Amino acid sequence: MEVLVLTLMAIVALLSTLATYLAITERDLLTAVIYSALQSAAYAIIFYLLMAPDIVLVYIPVAVGLYPAVFIVLIKKSERYEGG
Amino acid sequence: MSSDLQIVTYLTGIVVISLFVNMGISLYGMFAKPSLIKKLIALTILSDTANVFAILVGYRRWPSGSVVKPPVLTELPPTPERIVRFVSTAVDPLPQALVLTAIVIGLAVIIFLAVVIMQVYRTYGTTDVRLISKMRGERK
Amino acid sequence: MKYERALIAVAIIIFILVLSYAVTLGAMGTALPPPDLRLLAKAYLWLAINPWMRNLTVMSPEAVTSIVWDFRGLDTFFETAVLYLAIIGTVAIYRGVYSSSKRASASEEEGGMSPIAKSVTKITLPIVIAVAVAIALHGHLTPGGGFQGGSTAAVILLLVLVIFSLQFSIRVGITKGSMLALRSTGLLGIAVTSILVLILGLLIGYQSFIFQNQPKSYAPVGVPAALDGMLVSGTLILFNIFECLAVAAGLTLTFILVLTREEDIRSAMKGDKHE
Repeated sequence: MEVLVLTLMAIVALLSTLATYLAITERDLLTAVIYSALQSAAYAIIFYLLMAPDIVLVYIPVAVGLYPAVFIVLIKKSERYEGG
Repeated sequence: MSSDLQIVTYLTGIVVISLFVNMGISLYGMFAKPSLIKKLIALTILSDTANVFAILVGYRRWPSGSVVKPPVLTELPPTPERIVRFVSTAVDPLPQALVLTAIVIGLAVIIFLAVVIMQVYRTYGTTDVRLISKMRGERK
Repeated sequence: MKYERALIAVAIIIFILVLSYAVTLGAMGTALPPPDLRLLAKAYLWLAINPWMRNLTVMSPEAVTSIVWDFRGLDTFFETAVLYLAIIGTVAIYRGVYSSSKRASASEEEGGMSPIAKSVTKITLPIVIAVAVAIALHGHLTPGGGFQGGSTAAVILLLVLVIFSLQFSIRVGITKGSMLALRSTGLLGIAVTSILVLILGLLIGYQSFIFQNQPKSYAPVGVPAALDGMLVSGTLILFNIFECLAVAAGLTLTFILVLTREEDIRSAMKGDKHE
């Protein structure tokens, strides 16, 4: 049972590394924000598996709701594609 | 080591090393990419990864015969046997309280930085740091 | 170009899988995760709710909230101050621009998104506000608390600001002035609750300290831990209510200012006067 929970945590951690790499090397900033929200969802699952329900209730509105909203307003008011 | 301990250590090692790699990739993104918005995205990833490290420190191995539980006592009213069982199966509550404060402070910093980047775009017309430094050089 | 990125991603994952074998052989110094808790964690878990150590406990079955608002209450006080300073900084940057949004809202035009989005938001708005208030009010019994409920309420209010347009929201009553008033009420409530027991002790004549919750052996004044059989945990429930109000209002205020239209801001920067 313990091995099952830790295997799930390891798979989700590898998924978060993949999402981070895709977010940093992406030229279209809107797609980079979507990958960053995917990485935050993976971190929320890791927080749940580490038995921290208080942190999950803070992290999901803040990192999956407020950060992408702020970034999308920022991108709309400035440039969408990273130059060079 | 017995093989059960080896498997558990290997899986926890995967989680720890992949979080270190996350930190490395976001640090690279922060100083190598020229766009101010990409630097801000890398900063959020870096601060979130530091918070996951702090919670990971508070985890423990499962005691024999039961699962680990969050630090909330669910069997009320409290009797001495229930409190002893609670202490032997709960994870550490102190890192969770400190990370709560850290997430709020990170939110305040990121919101303020986003507002400042909007004002920089209105003043210079671009968010590319190389072009901004060239414009500032010509202004002086 | 796409194959290059996929190749680098696969190489990173293989690197992680190989390097964690070194952790198995002892690279981190010890076997992870540790087999038992530290003594400090056990002390906090013993003292969270313990009717037999009545002068050391918090009488709240939720250990994390009891650390955040009672054992380490000053940390949370200063974190609230940092969030307050960031929001005041945003208000100061947008000084002089907000009046143009109020002027534009006087014309009764129908803005916002399609009727489908508006009706769905009308249905989910009371549901999410109820969930946010429930999370905040039960913070001393179940996982939750002031900041969790406040940020959930801020998400649904941001959705209302975006789907019905900003002008409609200002007409209805979600303005900068009302959000600033609600935030100041929440912060005033937190400040009063933190010195509540101090003033009570000074009036009666006993010794007391700031952020005190339950009576201690050297400071025998406190707020009752249970009202009529229901567990209330002293000042914890008051802190949760006021913090939820302050955080929801503060984050909504930030988004009201950030969503102002670009042409209004540029004309204010050029120097046109707005009445």
